[in-house]
Amino acid sequence: MWAFIFRRLLYNIPVYLGIILLVMLALRVQDPVYAFLGKSPDQAQYDRIREDFGLNRPFVVQYVDFVKKIVTLDFSERSWDKRMPVNELIATSIPPTLLITLPQLILTGAIAISIGLIAAFFRGRGIDKTLVFLTVLGMSVSYLVYIVMGQYFGAYWLNQKLDAELFAVQGYDERLSTVGFWAGSPIDALGQWVRYCALPVMIGVIVAIGYDTRFYRAVMVEETNRDYITTAKAKGVGRTKIMFVHMLKNALIPIITRIMITLPFVITGSILVEYYFNIPGMGRTLIEAIRGKDFPVVQTFTALFAAVFIISIILTDVLYALVDPRVRLK
Amino acid sequence: MFRTTLKNATQSLICPVLAGLLAAAPLAALPSSAEANEKVLQLPIRTDGPKTLDPVAGSTTYENMAVSQIFETLLENKYANPYEFEPRLLAKLPERLEDGKRYRFTLKEGVYFHDHPAFPDGKGRRMVTDDVFYSLKRIADGRYQFKNWWLLENTILGFDEFKESQNASGATFDYDAPVEGFVKINDREFEIVLREPVYRFLWVLSMFQTSIVPREVVEHYDNPDDFGFNPAGTGPFKLVDFTPRRRLIVERNENYHEVRYPARDEWSRDDRRARMHMAAGERVPFVDRIEFTMYVEDQPMWLDFSRGRIAYVEVPPEYFDQAFIRQTRQLRPEFAQRGITYQANELLDFIFRGFNMDDPIVGGLDERGRKLRQAINLAIDLDEFSEAFYNGLTVQYDGPIPPGLDGHPEGGRAPVSYRGPNLEMARRKLAEAGYPGGRGLPQLQFYTSLGGNNAQQVEMLRRHLARVNIRLEPILVDFSTLIEATNNRRAQIFGFAWSSDYPDAENNLALFYGPNEAPGSNHYNYKNPEYDALYERVRVMEPGPERTALYEKMRDMLIEDAPFVGSMARTRYYLVNPWALNMRPTERYWSWFKYVDVDDSKR
Repeated sequence: MWAFIFRRLLYNIPVYLGIILLVMLALRVQDPVYAFLGKSPDQAQYDRIREDFGLNRPFVVQYVDFVKKIVTLDFSERSWDKRMPVNELIATSIPPTLLITLPQLILTGAIAISIGLIAAFFRGRGIDKTLVFLTVLGMSVSYLVYIVMGQYFGAYWLNQKLDAELFAVQGYDERLSTVGFWAGSPIDALGQWVRYCALPVMIGVIVAIGYDTRFYRAVMVEETNRDYITTAKAKGVGRTKIMFVHMLKNALIPIITRIMITLPFVITGSILVEYYFNIPGMGRTLIEAIRGKDFPVVQTFTALFAAVFIISIILTDVLYALVDPRVRLK
Repeated sequence: MFRTTLKNATQSLICPVLAGLLAAAPLAALPSSAEANEKVLQLPIRTDGPKTLDPVAGSTTYENMAVSQIFETLLENKYANPYEFEPRLLAKLPERLEDGKRYRFTLKEGVYFHDHPAFPDGKGRRMVTDDVFYSLKRIADGRYQFKNWWLLENTILGFDEFKESQNASGATFDYDAPVEGFVKINDREFEIVLREPVYRFLWVLSMFQTSIVPREVVEHYDNPDDFGFNPAGTGPFKLVDFTPRRRLIVERNENYHEVRYPARDEWSRDDRRARMHMAAGERVPFVDRIEFTMYVEDQPMWLDFSRGRIAYVEVPPEYFDQAFIRQTRQLRPEFAQRGITYQANELLDFIFRGFNMDDPIVGGLDERGRKLRQAINLAIDLDEFSEAFYNGLTVQYDGPIPPGLDGHPEGGRAPVSYRGPNLEMARRKLAEAGYPGGRGLPQLQFYTSLGGNNAQQVEMLRRHLARVNIRLEPILVDFSTLIEATNNRRAQIFGFAWSSDYPDAENNLALFYGPNEAPGSNHYNYKNPEYDALYERVRVMEPGPERTALYEKMRDMLIEDAPFVGSMARTRYYLVNPWALNMRPTERYWSWFKYVDVDDSKR
């Protein structure tokens, strides 16, 4: 197993170096310092920024230097726009993202797989048709509409009706990013999580559930036609056992694929949700950096996201082998 | 059996979640950390807020908003009349010597910096003359990327030379090196000698970038950026917590020097009717704590205002009709009944389309070029632009001087005016320019930035000009490319906007001063020796009828030469919740939060 992982990592090194090369070239097509400084730049200011960030050095030197920084995880250069070290930005952006994306991933997965199973089991019947109709309906509505409606009804109308502050219309309590807060006062932490994160999570689940349910239903429907299901039925195995034991186990490969495809977004975050709910996560940080022409942040984040994607692909292969003995780690 | 399993599963999963949410709700509703008897003012910051609290590193309005609570400037806009300034860290207004070439300053007594570990025993010390010189020298320090150097460039005697020598390759910036124009008399008195008498210098001293900072606190940190996260000024509030993009909390500075609310007679009759004078003569600040919330999107800000959670809101355009009756611009009764009040402020905007005067087709001060530009002006309907793209919330005016400033034409109409739409006259001018019916005139290139509704604006512009057979080729580029195209004089016509840095028309008239040509702020490359001579006269003059007359003359010269199509200024509408007292929102300066009080019984 370790040899397989090592081999996969090795094969992906040239791929990653190529990605870094492309990213660095793409970010230098337009002079990043000029883009950042905007109207009437001062030549001295321009020269100083170029020198500070080493952009006056030959490209090869910059490339080697950046690769070295990635390998040693040295992201200490400062953001041009936010004046903070990039590693500090990453460290402060990951927890808010995880507090949204992890519950969202787990809830979406659990609910969508369950609905998919139910719909597949009652294929063609009223319950299946209703569920399919609802998922298609859910998919047809824009994410932004859910956010705007969610903010209005969830964080304004509901609060008015309850005369309480169940959900915040936006914002984030940075204490939620600290382990100490969760360990020291878990009830308070949960309260703050509900206030700031529960609504974005619910909206994220509602949006994702349509797509996931349709996929899982198709997977389950395919499984219901397999011989082993007929055999199980012939042997008198109960419906629930067939669904949750036999069918689910055999459908794990496409389920893993689906979840692993989503996994990088657990780190990269949802730009829309983070932006509209003013949650300072990875997605929002990146989009702000792009808007602010914040070259060091854009370059580092892009390299980081590429690494996360490659790692998740390797993990997917490993998980295939773990859940299905027919897949050989060769 | 399956149904039973499903039901059980549903109950076991959903019930605890709902119960948890409801149980957690009251906890979430608790106030963060403010004491119950504290007066807390909750304020919005649009976008993700300030990036730094260091005055010399700041440039945006959000940095201005935050910095102005912690730091102070020598002069400050008057709350009762922001078009004038008053001494803040000074005992009196600066004395004008040598016809305005030299100013003598006397610092106010009893001004102390906030406590900080960099001071002996951590206690803030008294502000002295050296702090002023140090703070101004920081603007010339390359470590701050000369972000605000434009404020003092070519202004103070010997300061440009100081900047050059201190930032020369291999040199270490020496804050103790002398500047010819900085003359220390004693710890409380000093003089600043200017290269030439420039009246705007006093406005510069009211801008937040020139706030006074203590040297030992700045130097307490190894990295020049760190002071921006650990500031200590003389302002009415001290920093409690600043987490960029998340929160900004400041609390009352108990050692704040004596500053009082404007006296009754300083307020206009309208202001007194709005009860703005009620706190006259009282010592400020009124509130114990200010909590800023950052809003990157408008809906959350609007909903929070509607719930009474923030003191005021700048009405986002898409919510204008919810709050106001468009035809009358009056507040809707349901808002008025809740005690919400509103204020409308005209911004110091100059929204225009500029011509590159170096261009062989649209440029030049000869009759051909001038008449072509006048024809383009006459073909464009700014009122339609205002209705379509600004909800009708702009003021259209002739010339480059925004409403509220000396030299702005009465009613927006100058004696000379080529404001459209006047298609008949536009066609006549076009013919006089040598392009009868648009014949012989090549397609004109219009550069503007991508984003917003610029693509739609361009379509309207094309349609307006097509009515007189002028063809326009739109070139939509990102902002940096637009700047590049204007800086290297490639853009034939370009779309920009200018917001005045200080409330003096001189700031806008400088945009057409020949020596400021591209890549300077004169993107039009307008070079008119007569205009330049007038500008050199007005920039050293004090406000008064004589200066205003010259402003008007320069304005009319520009209207006649038409190096731009314009102009428009937006009007901002603000709503104020009834629990926020003495509130007069403005974006011209941000040190006014100290005058605001809260009445929690009205929440």
